[in-house]
Amino acid sequence: MNENEQDFGTLQQFLKLKRHEMPPPGYFNNFSDEVIARIREGGKSGELSTEAPWLLKFLQLFEFKPAFAGAFASALFLLLVFGFVFADRPESSPQPLLQASAAQSNSFAAVNPVALAQPAENTGIIATTNPATSLQPVASLFDSQNPFAQQVSFTTTGN
Amino acid sequence: MIMAEPAERTDQEPATDVPAVEMDLVRRAQRGDLKAYDELVQRYQERIYATVYHMTSNHEDANDLAQDSFIKAYQALKSFKGGSSFYTWLYRIAVNKTINFLKQRKNRTHMSLNDLDFNTENNPDLVALISENTPRRDAGLKELQEKLNAALLKLSEPHRLVVVLHDVQGQSHEEIAEIMDCNIGTVRSRLFYARQQLQSLLTDYLKPT
Repeated sequence: MNENEQDFGTLQQFLKLKRHEMPPPGYFNNFSDEVIARIREGGKSGELSTEAPWLLKFLQLFEFKPAFAGAFASALFLLLVFGFVFADRPESSPQPLLQASAAQSNSFAAVNPVALAQPAENTGIIATTNPATSLQPVASLFDSQNPFAQQVSFTTTGN
Repeated sequence: MIMAEPAERTDQEPATDVPAVEMDLVRRAQRGDLKAYDELVQRYQERIYATVYHMTSNHEDANDLAQDSFIKAYQALKSFKGGSSFYTWLYRIAVNKTINFLKQRKNRTHMSLNDLDFNTENNPDLVALISENTPRRDAGLKELQEKLNAALLKLSEPHRLVVVLHDVQGQSHEEIAEIMDCNIGTVRSRLFYARQQLQSLLTDYLKPT
């Protein structure tokens, strides 16, 4: 330990060399002026702090707590990934669509047979990115069940 | 003029009237008095600059970081309640800013060293160190300065900071503990480890013949 202390004494003497490192002559003459000028400039142009102090505090949070910045970035990334995953997923698979249209054609007696017989180019095309479903013909845009509509039956009297 | 005076000055500084005058300046600055803040800047500019400079070994970076620290301190001045001295509070801002900066620039170290003042060659300790103890007697002061700064840059930021504050700037263990927000034991152990590291890095220049 004693030897170490002695060695550190030499090192400490060596470190004194750093006390002689000086900035350019006159450097400190203008230092405070520059700081004050920048503060004044910030006061004029830095309207962010007065107009949106919440945003400034939020941004400062990143600086004070780098872990928060990391967590925020991770959350954004996850959100982006979920966005991509759900965007790529088809709205509905082709099989149920065909089944649904068949069921509809069976259940509604009032389906226009002319409309069913029409070629695909005259009917509606489902707009989807899935190639399996994108060109599936649909009988009509208007013959699907409307959940908000109620079926009514009219009974005619007389005649 | 020697940048960042050693322990003698900093230990004597917290005299009786200094905190009162300083608190008055701080209160005026908190009310937006820029003249008062200018006075505070002038009080501490050399020490803040020196700390940042010794941490970065780069004059331009030290200039930017020291200015940014004072600006940030002014912006946050209203949150200063006087729990510690203004000096310690300001130091913490500068040190945190510097450490964040150093973490960001991690792998792109570029030294831009200040010149040694003309008193260097008249410093008897240094003259003795170079002419008697250093095996590399042909090494000039400039070369020694570069080697020393390069060795310091190899230390981790907390270890470098402890060496800079204690061995270069002469601050006490207690002050360093307050600035670094850790206990004195941690400061001592970091200082010991940092010195060991430096010693092994500078072995060619330190071993007596």
